[in-house]
Amino acid sequence: MYCHTPCGPWSTVVHYTWNRVPLGMQTKPDLCDELCLIDVMEDKLKGEVMDLQHGSLFCKTHKIVGDKDYSTTAHSKVVVVTAGARQQEGESRLNLVQRNVNIFKFIIPQIVKYSPNAILLVVSNPVDILTYVAWKLSGFPRHRVIGSGTNLDSGRFRHLMGEKLHLHPSSCHGWIIGEHGDSSVPVWSGVNVAGVSLKGLNPDMGTDADKEDWKHVHKMVVNGAYEVIKLKGYTSWAIGMSVADLVESILKNLHKVHPVSTLVKGMHGVKEEVFLSVPCVLGNSGLTDIIHMTLKPEEEKQLSNSAETLWGVQKELTL
Amino acid sequence: MVGPRTLTYYPGVARATIYQRSYRGKGKQTDYHFDVCLWTCERPLLFLHLFPLSLFIALNMASILQKLITPLFSGTPEPARNKVTVVGVGQVGMACAVSILLRELADELALVDVMEDKLKGEMMDLQHGSLFLKTPKIVASKDYSVTANSRIVVVTAGVRQQEGESRLNLVQRNVNIFKHIIPQIIKHSPKCIIIVVSNPVDVLTYVTWKLSGLPKHRVIGSGTNLDSARFRYLMAEKLGIHATSFNGWILGEHGDTSVPVWSGTNVAGVNLQTLNPDIGTDADQENWKDTHKQVVDSAYEVIKLKGYTNWAIGLSVADLTESLIRNMNRIHPVSTMVKGMYGIDDEVYLSLPCVLNAGGVASVVNMTLTDDEIGQIKQSADTLWDIQKDLTDV
Repeated sequence: MYCHTPCGPWSTVVHYTWNRVPLGMQTKPDLCDELCLIDVMEDKLKGEVMDLQHGSLFCKTHKIVGDKDYSTTAHSKVVVVTAGARQQEGESRLNLVQRNVNIFKFIIPQIVKYSPNAILLVVSNPVDILTYVAWKLSGFPRHRVIGSGTNLDSGRFRHLMGEKLHLHPSSCHGWIIGEHGDSSVPVWSGVNVAGVSLKGLNPDMGTDADKEDWKHVHKMVVNGAYEVIKLKGYTSWAIGMSVADLVESILKNLHKVHPVSTLVKGMHGVKEEVFLSVPCVLGNSGLTDIIHMTLKPEEEKQLSNSAETLWGVQKELTL
Repeated sequence: MVGPRTLTYYPGVARATIYQRSYRGKGKQTDYHFDVCLWTCERPLLFLHLFPLSLFIALNMASILQKLITPLFSGTPEPARNKVTVVGVGQVGMACAVSILLRELADELALVDVMEDKLKGEMMDLQHGSLFLKTPKIVASKDYSVTANSRIVVVTAGVRQQEGESRLNLVQRNVNIFKHIIPQIIKHSPKCIIIVVSNPVDVLTYVTWKLSGLPKHRVIGSGTNLDSARFRYLMAEKLGIHATSFNGWILGEHGDTSVPVWSGTNVAGVNLQTLNPDIGTDADQENWKDTHKQVVDSAYEVIKLKGYTNWAIGLSVADLTESLIRNMNRIHPVSTMVKGMYGIDDEVYLSLPCVLNAGGVASVVNMTLTDDEIGQIKQSADTLWDIQKDLTDV
């Protein structure tokens, strides 16, 4: 879906295929004033657009359109890209890569043609590689190409942490950075409640020696997607809500800090041109600042290992 | 005062009741409407002269009513489940009321004050906005029976310090006011949670606890919730981020001796004290301590400029109310009974990070404080106890 407004600054674009990501955005009905859906499957697209339009009475988005033709996406402020094949049961994210790169080679130039000033928000998996691909194909400056990254992983982590401590997730603070996937990095030193560092209370936290087995919480985050896919076939609501959260920070110029995928070459010992998630400040010009986390040596090592793996895949791609 | 149920059975009034119900469409609106009429008349027998009038109106209106609406359910209306009462309709009270209305937290809002005209005017002004709100019933009265069955009662009533008045004298004057308010609140809403906002909030929360006889977890002081919000805003501004992305806590006494916990300040889990070990001390080159000073001075600054503060405190109270009503288990720095913690032996109320849910204060987070911070909190406790021990009739 994506919004097109010649008159206002509020627009959101989501390219939609086999993904109910857009519906998560309906939880924030005041976000954009025009929404547009784009897809290659025309019937499905038309059905979804009509269904959303029938809900107009209950929404604050006055215009919802959908088309195969990218000219309807003109003048978008934000373009959310969810296109691509989705993970099959048991399939790792890296396996999807070349399939999705070919799709992006069709999509991205068209988006750029009609919305040269947009902010690209890439959701399709493997998100870190595809954000790199979108960056290369679009020619946009790096602050306008963002990957949804570990915003969802951190959301899952804070939810599980909340369950463990009987608190609301918004009172539990924990950050997962790095690759959105199997090798994401939980920054245990930053995990805190009301400013009280949990690692300060339990120095074994995150290690195998930990009696409370917090490491298992991270494992559940990593396996979370696979588990849901096994049960219902795909994940949609949580990723939709996390994307809406990011879009809100961008459109409302909030300067909130989110863990999203950005170019990390030169940071934390990463030498390659790769995109990984680190805490970033989002506003209406895009990704305006990066927060420097003080990481342990083993955490930095994990990041640079991810970077190497990602680069290993990226350099084989034909762009 | 004659209750609404009795009125509906009175022959002359019955008609008028039907008329009014069809006008509003809901049973409970009818009751309320009649209450107000009686209240303004102030003399129950006066409605006798309305009998012929109401009959006349009813007989003429009945046919339109019957054509338009067919009532299906005419039993007792369901009582409100999320009723909030605000005591005191000054600037702070009204800011709390409006913030709660805009957040759609309550299904009924009751206002109480002694100044009847001001009270009625404020109530009407809010009611006139009903079209844009999701709180269908807004009532107000000098009489506390209007607050019956509230879940949350926000107390903003009290006098302000006169020039040259000692704090003890101010407190004793407010104690006398609370002696009138609190028992009436409890009488009509024995299961409520009380949020005390009036200043000095820590002492008055203690007073409320004593006068109400409620268990300590159901008496909360708005405490340093506002100080922490100001702190987070000011620090976030300096860092160019949103206040919600900056985590920092101010505890202890709400006022000049509040304690900023520098060791807990962090952004995205990155601890600021680790980046700058001097933070909050006089040796700090960046002078972050100044931000806390700004927090302490901010109330005085705003009062100097506009005469009072209300919006920020109103919003912060709505935030607390949300955690309580929606049973969220969120953590807020609010004033709670701290005897037994950090070496405090007296029954004083100070702000600590508390988990709030539908039962009130579910638990307190044990912050890892430095010896200096603990010392400051203990000092606040001693100062507060000094004032409290001399209060009479508490």
